Amino acid sequence: MNCDELRDHYDLYALDIAEEPERGEIRTHLQRDCEVCMAGVKRSLETVTLIGASAPWAEPSRQLRRRILASVGFEQRAGVPWWASALAIAGLGMLALYLGVSGKQYEQTAARLRTELREQTAQIASLTEAFAILSGPNTTEASFGGAQPMPPQGKVFLNPVRGVLLIAHNLPRTPANKIYEMWIIPKGARPVPAGLFQSQDGRAMHVQSGAVNLATTAAVAVTVENEAGADQPTTQPVIVAALPATPR
Amino acid sequence: MLPLILAIYAGPEELALIARLQRRDPQALAELYDTYGRAAYALVLRVVRDRAIAEDLVQETFLRVWNRIHLINSEKGAIGPWLLAIARNRAIDYLRSSAGRERNLIELNETDHAPLYREMEAEIPISDQARRVKAAMDRLAPNHRTVMELAYFEGMSQSEMSVKMGQPLGTIKTWVRTALQSLRDELGVAVTS
Repeated sequence: MNCDELRDHYDLYALDIAEEPERGEIRTHLQRDCEVCMAGVKRSLETVTLIGASAPWAEPSRQLRRRILASVGFEQRAGVPWWASALAIAGLGMLALYLGVSGKQYEQTAARLRTELREQTAQIASLTEAFAILSGPNTTEASFGGAQPMPPQGKVFLNPVRGVLLIAHNLPRTPANKIYEMWIIPKGARPVPAGLFQSQDGRAMHVQSGAVNLATTAAVAVTVENEAGADQPTTQPVIVAALPATPR
Repeated sequence: MLPLILAIYAGPEELALIARLQRRDPQALAELYDTYGRAAYALVLRVVRDRAIAEDLVQETFLRVWNRIHLINSEKGAIGPWLLAIARNRAIDYLRSSAGRERNLIELNETDHAPLYREMEAEIPISDQARRVKAAMDRLAPNHRTVMELAYFEGMSQSEMSVKMGQPLGTIKTWVRTALQSLRDELGVAVTS
């Protein structure tokens, strides 16, 4: 479909109520950076965002701010806090100056430490999401690969509000340009993509945040896909974790 | 309503905030929450109607923004509308999931659509028009207002609205189009069709 045929559907798309095939067509246009559709949908999003202004005013609890900051490691004492790495950067900078390390070497060291700081912060955020799922009162779990000696083994944890956490080991290395993709499989429906991940030394932890309906979910699966991921599985799953009939 | 308007019409200092978030500055996240936290909460609460769940979803929203901030352009980005879109998506996703309704690929939407939130504040209508939103919604015909609220705050498809309101799908589609056009006319937003 061309942009002219789609323009009547920009508003519906922004409202998330466009129907197929227009919905898929607009998404395709956006994914290929179609300037006409980008501008049209952006204008529609501006209008749709304004509709939210009609929501009645409400005040969250004071604890929410602290919870959010703690969830990224701010004001948190456990683990490797962000300020420890920042302090390390500053300290190493002083040490480099003291030892007369050249400016270029210092730049390289600082850049490496900044990268490590970013990675550590991302890891803390991911671990916090995982912890929230593990500690959730309504979290249910399912094992996979337990009866077999070599194939991937591990567990999935599902929380109706927080999302899905997968912990696996014995994962084979993916071929070049391939990646693992997790799927949430509803009962009697098509698998829903649930994020991409890679293994490291055969181990992997993957978090897919977002609400999940435990009552309608049959299983969580993992397949090997091309690096960009897939809308539907294209290979046989390497992991299938069937959910128990009744969540605990 | 004011905080939501502020969220949409944030000034250029927002770009500096995005850059600090991309440098993983936790204090920037605190400032982001102070600016948009209440607006996001009001929006999510309107959707899920449960304070505890709303706070969980707002926390998840800010965590998503923190983890995906690299998707926003630090020179042209509009983090407020993006954050509120994520908050709404999280809330609608929860609503659909808890009701056993079909879920959309919101993950895909949020990542693929980040470029749409570039230079948005420059193109959004001026603030006095934004303040007319509620009045414009109130002026809609009752059925038109209902379909807008069901679509935006309940995340219902046109087919679902047809069942809920006991009206033919064609009628619902007409109401949706008319309501959106009325809002556009009331708000003076540039017409795309």
